[in-house]
Amino acid sequence: MTLEMLIGASVAAATLRLAAPIALAALGGVVTERSGVTNIALEASMLVGAFFGIVAADRSHNIWIALGVAILAGALIALLHAYASITLRSDQIVSGMALNILALGLTTYLDYEMYGTTGTPPDLVGLPDVQLGFLSGVPYVGGAIGSQNSMVWVMALLVVGLQIFLFRTVAGLRLRAVGEHPRAAETVGIDVRRIRYAAVLASGALAALGGAYLSLGVAHSFTDGMTGGRGFIGLAAMIFGRWTPVGALAASLIFGYGNALSTSLQGATIGDTKVPVQLLGTLPYLLTILAVAGFVGRSRPPAADGVPYETEGHA
Amino acid sequence: MKRILAFSVLAATIVASCATTGNNTSSASPSGSGTATGQHPKIGLVTDVGGLNDKSFNSLADKGRQQAQAQLDVDTSVTESKQQADYVPNLTKYAQDKYDLVIGVGFLMQNAIWKVATQFPNVKFAIIDGAPNDDAGNVKNLPNVANLFFKEQEAGYVVGVIAATMAKNKVGAATHNTVCSMGGLPIPPVDRYIAGYQDAVKTVSPTTKILNGYSQDFVDQQKGIEVGKSHIAQGCDILFQVAGGSGLGYIQAAKDAKVYAIGVDADQAAVAPGTVITSALKKVDVAVFQTVRSLRLGTFKAGDNSFNATNDGIGFGTLDKIVPDDAKAAATQALADIKSGKITPKDTVQVKP
Amino acid sequence: MRQLTFQWAGGPAIPILSVAIALLLGAVFVLLSGNDPVKGYLALFQGAFGTPYDITETIVAAIPLVLTGLAVAVAFRTGLFNIGAQGQLLVGALAAGWAGSQWATLPGFILMPIVIVFGTAGGALYGGIVGLLKAVRGVNEVITTIMLNYTIVFVMHWLLQAGPMTAQNAFGTPASTPIGAGARLPVIIPNELVLFSRLHAGIVLAALAVIAFWFLLWRTPLGYRLRAVGLGARAAAQAGIDPARHMIMVMAIAGGFAGLGGMIEVSGVFGRVYDGFSSSYGFDAIAVALLGKNSPLGIVVAALLFGAFVHGGAYMQSHAGISSNLVAIIQAFVLFVIAAESLVRSLTRRRGRARKPVEAIA
Repeated sequence: MTLEMLIGASVAAATLRLAAPIALAALGGVVTERSGVTNIALEASMLVGAFFGIVAADRSHNIWIALGVAILAGALIALLHAYASITLRSDQIVSGMALNILALGLTTYLDYEMYGTTGTPPDLVGLPDVQLGFLSGVPYVGGAIGSQNSMVWVMALLVVGLQIFLFRTVAGLRLRAVGEHPRAAETVGIDVRRIRYAAVLASGALAALGGAYLSLGVAHSFTDGMTGGRGFIGLAAMIFGRWTPVGALAASLIFGYGNALSTSLQGATIGDTKVPVQLLGTLPYLLTILAVAGFVGRSRPPAADGVPYETEGHA
Repeated sequence: MKRILAFSVLAATIVASCATTGNNTSSASPSGSGTATGQHPKIGLVTDVGGLNDKSFNSLADKGRQQAQAQLDVDTSVTESKQQADYVPNLTKYAQDKYDLVIGVGFLMQNAIWKVATQFPNVKFAIIDGAPNDDAGNVKNLPNVANLFFKEQEAGYVVGVIAATMAKNKVGAATHNTVCSMGGLPIPPVDRYIAGYQDAVKTVSPTTKILNGYSQDFVDQQKGIEVGKSHIAQGCDILFQVAGGSGLGYIQAAKDAKVYAIGVDADQAAVAPGTVITSALKKVDVAVFQTVRSLRLGTFKAGDNSFNATNDGIGFGTLDKIVPDDAKAAATQALADIKSGKITPKDTVQVKP
Repeated sequence: MRQLTFQWAGGPAIPILSVAIALLLGAVFVLLSGNDPVKGYLALFQGAFGTPYDITETIVAAIPLVLTGLAVAVAFRTGLFNIGAQGQLLVGALAAGWAGSQWATLPGFILMPIVIVFGTAGGALYGGIVGLLKAVRGVNEVITTIMLNYTIVFVMHWLLQAGPMTAQNAFGTPASTPIGAGARLPVIIPNELVLFSRLHAGIVLAALAVIAFWFLLWRTPLGYRLRAVGLGARAAAQAGIDPARHMIMVMAIAGGFAGLGGMIEVSGVFGRVYDGFSSSYGFDAIAVALLGKNSPLGIVVAALLFGAFVHGGAYMQSHAGISSNLVAIIQAFVLFVIAAESLVRSLTRRRGRARKPVEAIA
């Protein structure tokens, strides 16, 4: 095992690449749960974002349209969830699970119908990498962030933007008020339903960006179930990060680091024994548990998280 | 209105099902063609959990089924298995419905095939990549089961010859004299490909550096890309994937870095033209088609049926224009030498991660 | 907090109507896909219940879902969200598979209890970790259960591909050494009655587990305290109940149910542990538990419904040519419509005053 394998610039770069989709899903989670709606359908929004982004790229050959369609698809899933959980006051977990199953079935079905076994076409338009030439001479930093996908930077901007929005603006305060004490919020004239709808829709759009990153930014194609549970990991990162954007990013980075290690440490030895390649796969998950248990500990969700709200006037 | 409709659908379902429970043996002939068996043999295909769109042996097996349907005057049908516990009932349903040949795809079905085939001695079965295994895990050949095997190491060897020749002569972007491979997981059907590939490289070009890694996944593309990036950073410029969907990520990593990749199972030239220089072919479609044909001709052979270089059951796919003539010639020669028995590719991996 | 304890009000009419509406929505989708929904549903129903054999297979498919459903439900009842039934089931399967092959030669009356204990204890231990981390360090169970689900997948890869449990078998199927005959749950339906049935004694274990679940929660002081914790940690604390201790206990109990489910699959269906044999039992379980409103009978019915989708869905594909992915879509509709319960409820009443929420907020 060498230091390069553990903390080299290439490991840092891989950490960012692997953390980005999880962080985007986690940001979605932060926004929706801060408003008081649990949305475990982030995985579904990611998956439809990944798929319809590719379909739109294939049809339009325009990355902006592709990105827009991806966001729209993710938000549409979220709209269904919002309707079920806010308007109908359904059980939010059931609705979320249903949408996850729906998204997997739908994308797998359409993928096979549209692209068959040959797969999505090659040379689709994609999200470009950003080459920071001026960093190329800087040791480590150049290797770590000198050539990252544009969506990684979008993610970073969103983290900062949402952190400021939630904790430094009036609108953000309103959103949090709705999640903490909807009745009180309503008495001061805040439209609880409208804010919750907006937050859930935004969460779907954010998760869809994560999906679009995977398909349009990384793989340049779609394969069935390609999000592979990242929406759920994102939920864990949201809780780990105590329902804050910056915290969610930190949690995603820890997870991404574990994931990067499981590649970079292949072939590494401890003493004379080779670490079995299968066990390296456990790294991101164990690292996350250790980090949460060791450093974070207790975290408290927004008080009204997951509780349907009955507007006074409608009862 | 909605309510009435919903109830009537339910009611219709219940009534109809009561009507059919009485005569379950001959119910529901597929796709409208209800001719007697013997004239139109019925073929059922059961995929493993990878499903029809795995872009690997399941989709190839289904391709073979469709070809048989089109050319061999047979009625065919397919069932996707969603979980491993489904193998037995999915195979059983076809046997119960008096299908003539039931094909199971994948080594995960070895015990399920044994269970069902012993219960239906009059139905013929075939299994891709395996042989019937009894409950103790021992191979038990049955008189009604054809075991369809592939020599993946031969396919790996042939594409390894191409990679080694190009690496040795520094063709195009292959300038670092380093070739790599990535499996999904280190399991035998994957490792046989990689073993043959490494064997060829060591034989043809002993100075060429070899790396090998695993994405630990057969679906996740991003994991495949990460292994690819890591390999390329270590000088790899020819990357051979044996990892299904995850392997598509490995190919994408090669494409991003403008180096070369080698596809697996099916001909993957179209995945990334100009990047995929060739593919190691495992002609599962041919195996399925030929097994159905043998049933039609009355030459169905139970027990081991090997698909290898000799009977064109393995091979290499479309060559990209970058592949020079000498590499092509060397591959063709290697294929001939394997046929003649002059070369026997190794089937255990020598260079591990 | 989240409302986790509400019951189906007004009997089975609402769920049945929900399923009907979902099937109707699914029919539209099948129609759009260019297939015949009537033919499709006939095949689905026939595939699931058409013959005695199919009925037994639907039950075989439902058994693991009953156990994992209980694992999710018992946690829900206590206010915990157990996404980890999947991992707990796998650990139970591995523990049972290890014990069953380690002492393969022991007679059944000794080996069977051992295997049951190992499976249950394995799952309980894995679930208990979650409870422990929550009680001691306050780690949210959603994080730990998700992470532990993935962890065991890779540990399982290692154990069954190149580790201490890997079988030396033909062509290298990643699997454990087969368990002894004494560890196999016997098929309980003789061939003369239903030909080739796989319905195994695991149904008895599942039934006992359902009864135990009911008895534990509604007939013991512990169950009362667990449900009290579920209704609110503060209220429970005021009643002199220590929530931390109960978190460990309830997660261990949940894991025990799921682990028993894993043991049943190994002993009743496979006879050994296959790598990745469970693709979704643990995740479907969340749907099963919520569909069954976390009640014993509801879980059984919901598991049977899902079992019918699994077994009948295959037939729908082979005999009506309808993609298995459409079956998944229909399944999702069922869940979604059931989630949107109040919508369905409003259909069963006259317009106007039907908008009052039925469930109390816990």
